[in-house]
Amino acid sequence: MSNTLRKVLSLLLAVAMLMSCAVVFAGCDNTDNDNPVVSGDQNVDDVPDEGDKEVDPNATYTYNTSASVFPTLWNPHTYQTATDAVPLDYTSVGFYTFDYNETLDGYKIVPEMAVAEPEDVTADYVGEEWGIAEGDTAKAWKITLRDDLKWNDGTPITANDFVKSAELLLNPAAQNYRADSLYSGSMVVHNAKNYLYAGQYAYSPMIDYGYAAVADLTVGEDGAYDTADGDLWFNLYDGVSWSSNSLTDYYNAGYTAEMTKDGVDLYATVLAANADEDGYVAVTAEVADALMFIVANLHGYADADAYAVDAGDYAYTEWNEFIQIGSTYPEMTFDAVGVKALNDTELVLIIDKPLEGFYLLYSLTGTWLVKNDLYESLITITDGVYNNTYGTSAETTPSYGPFVLESFQADKQMVFTKNDNWYGYTAYPGCYQTTSVVVDYVETAATRLELFLQGKLDTYGLDAADMQDYSKSEHTYYTTGDSTFFIALNPDLDALKSEQEKLGANKNKTILTIPEFRMALSFALNRAEFCLATSPVNNAAFGVFSSIIISDPDNGVAYRTTEQAKDVLVDFWALTDEIGEGKLYADKDEAIASITGYNLEMGKQYFDLAYDKAIEAGLMDEDDVIEIKIGQPNGTSNFYNNGYDFLVNNYTEAVKGTKLEGKLTFTKDDTLGNAFSDALKTNKVDMLFGVGWTGSALDPYGLMEAYTAPNYQYDPSWDTTTDMLTVNIDGTDYTASVIDWTYCIVGTPCTVTAADGTTMEYSCGTADGDPETRLAILAALEGAVLRTYDMIPIMDDSSAALKGMQIQYYTEDYIYGVGRGGIKYMTYNYTDTEWDAYVAENDGILNYK
Amino acid sequence: MFKYVLKRIALMLMVFLIIISICFVLVKLLPNTPATQFGKDMQLIEMRREALGYNKPLIVQYGIFLQKSLLGGNWGASESLYVGQDVWDIFISKLPATMLVNVYAMLFSVPIGLLLGIYAALKKNRWQDHLISTGIMVFVSVPGFVTAFFVQYFLCHKLQWFPMQMLPGDDYFTWAMFMSLVPAILSLGFGTIAGLARYTRAELCEVLTSDFMLLARTKGLTRGQATVRHALRNSMVPIFPMIIGEFIGIIGGSLIIEQIFGIPGVGPLYIKSITSRDYNFYMLLSSFYTFIGLSANILVDLSYGFIDPRIRMGER
Repeated sequence: MSNTLRKVLSLLLAVAMLMSCAVVFAGCDNTDNDNPVVSGDQNVDDVPDEGDKEVDPNATYTYNTSASVFPTLWNPHTYQTATDAVPLDYTSVGFYTFDYNETLDGYKIVPEMAVAEPEDVTADYVGEEWGIAEGDTAKAWKITLRDDLKWNDGTPITANDFVKSAELLLNPAAQNYRADSLYSGSMVVHNAKNYLYAGQYAYSPMIDYGYAAVADLTVGEDGAYDTADGDLWFNLYDGVSWSSNSLTDYYNAGYTAEMTKDGVDLYATVLAANADEDGYVAVTAEVADALMFIVANLHGYADADAYAVDAGDYAYTEWNEFIQIGSTYPEMTFDAVGVKALNDTELVLIIDKPLEGFYLLYSLTGTWLVKNDLYESLITITDGVYNNTYGTSAETTPSYGPFVLESFQADKQMVFTKNDNWYGYTAYPGCYQTTSVVVDYVETAATRLELFLQGKLDTYGLDAADMQDYSKSEHTYYTTGDSTFFIALNPDLDALKSEQEKLGANKNKTILTIPEFRMALSFALNRAEFCLATSPVNNAAFGVFSSIIISDPDNGVAYRTTEQAKDVLVDFWALTDEIGEGKLYADKDEAIASITGYNLEMGKQYFDLAYDKAIEAGLMDEDDVIEIKIGQPNGTSNFYNNGYDFLVNNYTEAVKGTKLEGKLTFTKDDTLGNAFSDALKTNKVDMLFGVGWTGSALDPYGLMEAYTAPNYQYDPSWDTTTDMLTVNIDGTDYTASVIDWTYCIVGTPCTVTAADGTTMEYSCGTADGDPETRLAILAALEGAVLRTYDMIPIMDDSSAALKGMQIQYYTEDYIYGVGRGGIKYMTYNYTDTEWDAYVAENDGILNYK
Repeated sequence: MFKYVLKRIALMLMVFLIIISICFVLVKLLPNTPATQFGKDMQLIEMRREALGYNKPLIVQYGIFLQKSLLGGNWGASESLYVGQDVWDIFISKLPATMLVNVYAMLFSVPIGLLLGIYAALKKNRWQDHLISTGIMVFVSVPGFVTAFFVQYFLCHKLQWFPMQMLPGDDYFTWAMFMSLVPAILSLGFGTIAGLARYTRAELCEVLTSDFMLLARTKGLTRGQATVRHALRNSMVPIFPMIIGEFIGIIGGSLIIEQIFGIPGVGPLYIKSITSRDYNFYMLLSSFYTFIGLSANILVDLSYGFIDPRIRMGER
């Protein structure tokens, strides 16, 4: 090494050493910091009374919040998650919006961008073009917009902008993720789906059109079956509605014997041999027979006839769940789509299914509006793949809401400031005190808490570790969510037998088919302790629906407060005979309040009973050990790890002193990943916990399908086509299958049979105008789900959060739709300057305990 | 030498292709079916997947990847993490924050690590050596994220000397930004200091007892002269490549440290790209890191020759 090089290296080393010293001592410059000591003696009484203060018009009020997951794409046409929608919450508004009712104890929907409620103009659009017949109502609605709608740059917004935006949303080339918002919910805009799929040969699950036996199908010119809706196709690589696993998955997993008939491999010779390069097979009589046979065999029956002994006609139609209907959508222009602008402020929506009242307004609480010129400038098509970067940065995010996205740094921070061109600041005097919103990306909960205690965040969502310190804090706000989580069990005898045989001798799983065993698992589960062990803010659950679920949205009536829903709970938990004068409980409310779901003594009795029944039925030998495999999506989630440990300990203790003592064991598979929700269906595990459905807080009727329809069920072995349910309609008891009642309450007519054998076509959807009967059917279905003990409710999703002392909520109680007032009604106890001073006065760390 | 370098580069490209091919196949073998959503038009999702080429045979997808990405340099758009955005742009936009904090951490830790190691070696088996060695063992044993939590709790929360999180924005070379990075620099640096000090001490101790050191002293050199001119230089032969390796690690980022101190860098990207099945992102990162890793190996090998001319490359 030359001397010069040595000198250069020495110099570099010296500089680096100096920098190191700078880093080490940099912090020491703050030794005279005013706030070095922890305090925390201040409390909520120190908060000044805002009413006596003069409001400084130049004061700033910043709402500082954080997120552990940051949005990456908030294009109104393509965003996928609630996290991604956060910027839209600040930069956009709907045609209508939720607001407090007059008594501040509920919600109402009021005009936002619209000036009044929609006007029914169905009569103006009668004709084949729009599919509207004379006398129809609620199928065309005129929305009159405010005349002062503007983008943040001052560009006026007109009704035509909504039409153009709808065209961009439904652009067939774009395949926008949210394109179905115009046709898959309760609001089905005329021709929206047809325009989206125009010219394409597209497939839909056959059972969306209803089940059909072979005899009901017609044979086309090519010798394959078709229906009025299109051609029937089976796909080797798609389980369609039957399962997320395809028949090929089953075949490759070793289910070859189930696909072999009289020594002929049906999969290879009938299905695979006739498949095209994408795996599609035209459904011929031979294919239908093969599928019928395979489905029956996968259920453990010799053939469909044997299966039909237990399953009835379903045995001959279940294969439909593997079938898709393919058809070519006709070419059409956007003129045929039911979104029309009459002039600058009048927009008309023409819809296929009548919709009115609450659900109409609710469907219009969001919009699909984009700034068309900017949107189109951001479209790229590379190698035939459409792409658009609208809504990915501050520059690509125009606003027509209360705030403008001032800056956005991915995975770091986004800042919103007031949109001076928004009408709301004059339309809602006294509201929107917030001058800016800062959302920081802070991934670790401990850091979020420390920032909150330093006054740098205005809210903090508590997690399990915080509850000991803050559960009783006067700053803690609890909110019930709309999800109920369950233990889901797999009582499929054939599947359990098969898995049991793989384990070898003296291992047992088939006891899960004994209802008393599942009941024992329910009664012996200490739900409150389970919540404490896994997620302490959650509440124990005793029914299918939580208290936040609303069954009468027009009037804001929560399902759990209705008499029908209360009856379900008191019946299911056997409290009916304990209610009344001189009895244990004065009324149903008192009885329901007493439910814990935990009765160890009864659980032990049912364990004994289940054991006896299993021995008697030959399902279990005396020296058998039960082995239940529990599924987890991963091995890193505290919820699932703690939950597994709790369940194992809970049940191991529960069987002590029973005939199953020492005979109940558990294993786990924590590698399920995305296959978690299908793990029961595919017989990978015997039990899942923490499963459920969310997102339908205002429509428990539609949500019931998730528990009873085969394509959604966690446990498909509950055959809801054969399980019959009786409901009283206008004084007469009518019987129909569980699945028929399920479809009936969303407006699909079904045949119901009275005790004397008479039948009638009956539907009880929103438009049928019999909410009481609809509610009674829903309650009956809830009871049916609970009585299977395949889905055992364990906890309702809830959350708890600390509110900072700078801000003030409008209401203490959480109201569906408006929360506690949101950013609109939020007020401030301090300006930003005052808040900084207040935090400094308290030595930089606030006490919220 | 030139021939040797060319040969190494050719081998490197071959290994690179093999690794990338394995990565491509493995990630594509992971299950990736869209979760059933209540009331969602799943066909719409399926059509998008079809357009993105998910349903093409694996070998066809591989061919497209080779042609478009590896040879064409077009890494495509993100499919799930930053949907629709160019993965290369996202990666490059996040790289500076990661590099900045890691470069600072190296500048802080390398000199201190070397000095401590040298000092401990010179004071071998005396109380100074024991003190430094104990500290080294503590910081080698304690995981970086534990150190990070201590640094954040005491320096940022209790003493409030530094901000809890890195400041937002891209004004990377301001004093305020530097101060906001200090906790992360310290957290990253302690482990490196400990590792480097331990290694330096061990190497130097061995060299100091060598015969040539005795010869140097008998030739009349002072202890300091002998140490700096002979011992230090010889002990640097294995240490310098180690420092180069540490620098290469800079661009990999630190998953935990970046999360704790709010550094919007590339650290978490790799894991996220796998868990969210963002194929384009995963293949870009795999290619990038594989290339950097393999290049570093060559660089380290070549560096031996520069540090110690007695080491000849590619010669028998």
